[in-house]
Amino acid sequence: MPNQPKFKRYVWQLPVRWCHWTNALSIVVLCVTGFFIGTPISFGGSPSDFTMGWIRFFHFTAAYAFTVSLASRVLWSLIGNEFSGWRAFFPFFSAKGRDKMLKMLRYYLFLDREVPETIGHNPLATTAYLALFFLYMVMIATGFALYAQHAPHGVMHAALGFMYTLFSNQGMRLTHHLSMWFIVGFAINHIYSAWLMDIKEHGGEISSMFSGYKFTVKKED
Amino acid sequence: MAKIVVDPITRIEGHLRIEAELSDGKIADAWASGTMFRGIEKILQGRDPRDAWFWTQRFCGVCTTVHSIASIRAVEDALKIKIPPNAQLIRNIIIGIQNTQDHVIHFYHLHALDWVDITSGLKADPVKTAQLAASISDWPNNSATYFKGVQDKIKAFVASGRLGPFANAYWGHPAYRLPPEANLMATAHYLEALEWQKDVIKIHAILGSKNPHPQTFLVGGMSIPIDPDSQNALNADKLMEIRRLLKKSQDFVEKVYVPDLLAVASFYKDWAAIGAGVGNYMCYSEFPDANGKPWLPGGAILNRDITRVVAIDQKKITEHVDHSWYEDAGGKGLHPFDGETKPNYTGPKPPYEHLDTDKKYSWVKAPRYEEKAMEVGPLSRVLVAYVSGHPETKAVVDMVLKKLDVGPAALFSTLGRTGARGIDCLLIARQTTKWLDELIGNISKGDYRIHSGELWDPATWPAEANGYGWHEAPRGGLGHWIKIKDQKILNYQAVVPSTWNASPRDAKGQRGPYEAALVGTPIADASKPLEILRTIHSFDPCLACAVH
Amino acid sequence: MGKKRADAARGRQAEDLEERHYSVGELLKERGVSRRSFLKFCSTVTAALALPASLAPSVARALDQVQRPPLVWLEFQGCTGDSEALLRSANPTVGEIVLDILSVDYHETIMAAAGHQAEAALDKTIADNKGKYFCVIEGSIPMKDGGVYGCVGGKSHLERARQVCGSAAATIAIGTCASYGGIAAASPNPTGAVGVKEAVPGATVINLPGCPCNADNLTATIVHYLVFGKIPALDGHGRPLFAYGKRIHDNCERRPHFDAGQYVEHWGDDGHRGGFCLYKMGCKGPATFHNCPTQRYNGKTSWPVAAGHPCAGCSEPSFWDTMSPMYRRLPNVPGFGIEHSADMIGLGLAAGTAGAFAVHGALNALRKDKEPANRDENKEG
Ligand code: HEM
Ligand code: HEM
Ligand code: NFV
Ligand code: SF4
Ligand code: SF4
Ligand code: F3S
Ligand SMILES: [Mg+2]
Repeated sequence: MPNQPKFKRYVWQLPVRWCHWTNALSIVVLCVTGFFIGTPISFGGSPSDFTMGWIRFFHFTAAYAFTVSLASRVLWSLIGNEFSGWRAFFPFFSAKGRDKMLKMLRYYLFLDREVPETIGHNPLATTAYLALFFLYMVMIATGFALYAQHAPHGVMHAALGFMYTLFSNQGMRLTHHLSMWFIVGFAINHIYSAWLMDIKEHGGEISSMFSGYKFTVKKED
Repeated sequence: MAKIVVDPITRIEGHLRIEAELSDGKIADAWASGTMFRGIEKILQGRDPRDAWFWTQRFCGVCTTVHSIASIRAVEDALKIKIPPNAQLIRNIIIGIQNTQDHVIHFYHLHALDWVDITSGLKADPVKTAQLAASISDWPNNSATYFKGVQDKIKAFVASGRLGPFANAYWGHPAYRLPPEANLMATAHYLEALEWQKDVIKIHAILGSKNPHPQTFLVGGMSIPIDPDSQNALNADKLMEIRRLLKKSQDFVEKVYVPDLLAVASFYKDWAAIGAGVGNYMCYSEFPDANGKPWLPGGAILNRDITRVVAIDQKKITEHVDHSWYEDAGGKGLHPFDGETKPNYTGPKPPYEHLDTDKKYSWVKAPRYEEKAMEVGPLSRVLVAYVSGHPETKAVVDMVLKKLDVGPAALFSTLGRTGARGIDCLLIARQTTKWLDELIGNISKGDYRIHSGELWDPATWPAEANGYGWHEAPRGGLGHWIKIKDQKILNYQAVVPSTWNASPRDAKGQRGPYEAALVGTPIADASKPLEILRTIHSFDPCLACAVH
Repeated sequence: MGKKRADAARGRQAEDLEERHYSVGELLKERGVSRRSFLKFCSTVTAALALPASLAPSVARALDQVQRPPLVWLEFQGCTGDSEALLRSANPTVGEIVLDILSVDYHETIMAAAGHQAEAALDKTIADNKGKYFCVIEGSIPMKDGGVYGCVGGKSHLERARQVCGSAAATIAIGTCASYGGIAAASPNPTGAVGVKEAVPGATVINLPGCPCNADNLTATIVHYLVFGKIPALDGHGRPLFAYGKRIHDNCERRPHFDAGQYVEHWGDDGHRGGFCLYKMGCKGPATFHNCPTQRYNGKTSWPVAAGHPCAGCSEPSFWDTMSPMYRRLPNVPGFGIEHSADMIGLGLAAGTAGAFAVHGALNALRKDKEPANRDENKEG
């Protein structure tokens, strides 16, 4: 296999890439603004300033962008190509997936020297994406429930208010706040891995998220 | 001997039960039981010491500020925090008006109906009532029309056939002795005091947002900012409103409460020989100035010896649980630093008729000072100050004794306790304005400090610290003891005025003050034990406080 | 022993006082309360109920017609703070409530009778007014060990609650203790304390939390019932929307400072004196539903934030546990000590991840891998 020339292959369709970068951008905005909401600095010079106001506005705008983008991505996982399909996110259900996961893990842990090659997602990453997806859901549910409190008579509160009878108000805030740090933790991990695999795989990992093309030896291994 | 049971004791705070044995028309023995337990001392463990005041405040909504004060003092003692003078003065004003308001409510709404027969007031002549009132005070609401108005109001109420909270009382009991006019006057003031108390306590709202349970205390000071140039802080407008309310408070005490008290007392002088109690009186001192020097002195009077005041030491306080529903601590009393609150109910299964008073019979612990039961409260405060030669106290006590034509020994009684509360109230009501003046003086010198923040952050604390905070609450000496470890509460124990007074027996079988005071009290009608209420109410019981 | 005698006493009273039925309006007139001050009271109550002012006449009409309905007030594991709040109520005053508006037949803190005579008054009200009286409960109900942690007259709080709430027109749980268990129910809840609704699931319960409850909300609730003949609309925690329908933070007078980014940083600093937002001092206003900023306390004098102290969230279920520590915005992370805030844990986590990958990256640079072939940009797969 080694030393065989690689082929250019269209992997990430436009919606996947579009959603990815919308997500990435909105999450950066959400983390920065969210952190400020949690631990604000007294920037305001006069009561007519709107520092916190704008920051919250950006948080909520990004929250909507993020939610819409995530919903689109979920939709695309039903209609997009094989690499974007929802099945890719459950690699541990197939023997092949499990085998690849193990290989990847062994590589990461310096137990194996052979860099596993993947065309679509690498299966270890998709498992992390699945966990991340769960975090996203937590953020969206707690975020919108918190958001709905400004209008307790509104539709949003009617839909999400049940969470307050299940969890305490502050429990929800704490969950929303803490989960941000898990997402930050994921992002660090993720960007590092993308960079690592970009170097190691010679597959154009990072640029693929812009262009959609990856480089691979054959159709599917 | 058949025991009589009074449960609930009403017109007190909380759940108190009295069981008593009668013999020859007198009480031969008595047991006081607190019947409700929450376990807040236990709940406090592991929490932030800076929050403790907010929790302990909920020991009681009647003496609603006192546990906050004792708690912040305990933490400040543990961490050696010195608070700014303004914070000290604001606390004094809050304590002052709490005492004044609490005493007036006690006299009119919790105690008066033991002496005043409202129904007899319906027969009074309003003109004569006005004359009686004018003879004891120049209070403006003293006209015949005013008393007629009140009488009509009560008549219409009675005529409605729904007596509400006044139904089923001991009206017409032979122990009621006031003439109809005095009864009508007191009834009118019962209603007036209701209006008055809700007004004067607004001082707590101005300084601390609301009452009950003001939200303004901080370890290290107070949270109400001072700034004459801000509408969100204590400014001239608010200070003047406090002054107006303090004046109103003092006026009512001077012109209504104390005259009424003396008038009623003059009909019940035989009660100056009933209800003496344990004979030991203790006071912790109160109202520190900027340097911590108290205005009211502390100390103890032992065995009714009013020739001397003994200095007191917190190390000599212990709590016993031999007759209280807690796990036994090996038969000996524990100092509050090592105190335990481990509930272990061994009483009868509810519903029950009688408690097993030979064994454990109360949720109240039994605090002892040098193994002696002590009475705390206004009487102790006044006695200690009187014997210490505290000038303001001496003047008022001598005035009262002279007016009633009795000697100091009369103070050791049910009537003495009720009288001392009035004296205490008058002294404090007068003094509170002075702290306000001092506060205004400081502010005009440009001192706006309300908090010392150096040790606010728990990261600045030592790994371990112990402290205690003492306070003279309306019902007497209150102490909180705290042990802090790794920024958290390791142990928290409160020994509360009503814990002292409502105490059950200890290992040696020594009665607590309520129990001791009841022994010997005459009972005219065993089915209507009005006399029990008189003596018990003279202590102003607070059982939520006592047990917590 | 005293039962016969008590009955006899009651008989005498009934003979003396011929039963007459007055409406609240008539009573007030007879009592020398002018029509004008009655109408003023009605408009105050209308405002407290968050109703349009135009409804004040119908409030007056309704009160004109109702007879003083009986009310019994039971205190359990409470601190009497809510009773004291009632004593401070401004519109109407407690005097008006007791003498004119309701027939307060049982309230241990104020009633004249004691012992079995007091119990007899309670029994009579319940027996004579089945389904018609109000019951107000203050304090939580201990459920552990057969209810031995709270007894009155030898009966457990639970037994009394079942007896009294069961046949009440409606039960009002006043204060956070009665509503949700309150302070006694805070961890580790030594007595198994719960709120009324949990102890007596069948009862019609209106929760009026707050520690203590704002008496204005109590009177408004009762008047709502008298005027509209039904209990007010409640939220998911059983609280009337007219008083708990909005968040403190959204009605707070300091909200402009929150939005502006002006916060109190230290007690007594310029911001504190200037009325800045208390968010950083631990204010729980953003998580609390209560009408404190608008209704205020003690005759509308003030409320916690106005006095420079953060809101503690006292009207929320289990606020004692979930809203503490008081001077931190977020609760402690379960399992970590109080010195660890959420951000310290989060930062630790993020830094740990970054550190781990930095090491991983460094090790990678050193190792010799079997890497796949280089790519050919021109071939499509
Ligand atoms: C990755 C996604 C997100 C992150 C990292 C994030 C982060 C944060 C953080 C750290 C806070 C401060 C919490 C506190 O300390 O009280 C916050 C507050 C908040 N977030 Fe998010 N958030 C995210 C998504 C969302 C979404 C989807 C919504 C939906 C509308 C949302 C709505 C809110 C609201 C309403 C608040 C409270 C704002 C306030 O109290 O003024 N968040 N967020
Ligand atoms: C410099 C920033 C980033 C780069 C270079 C980058 C790169 C990539 C690449 C190359 C992939 C495809 C690899 C694969 O799935 O195996 C990918 C997928 C993904 N990335 Fe990122 N990423 C960045 C930031 C982020 C951030 C901040 C997040 C969210 C916290 C994120 C979340 C994801 C997710 C969820 C996927 C799966 C995409 C899908 O299937 O829709 N990425 N990223
Ligand atoms: N005993 C007592 Fe208290 C007082 N005063 C507190 O320390 O009543 Ni509630
Ligand atoms: S809710 Fe608060 S005020 Fe009411 S009884 Fe409980 S602790 Fe006391
Ligand atoms: S003080 Fe509290 S309730 Fe008011 S705006 Fe600030 S955070 Fe909100
Ligand atoms: S502490 Fe309670 S009184 Fe109001 S402002 Fe907060 S809800
Ligand atoms: Mg104790």
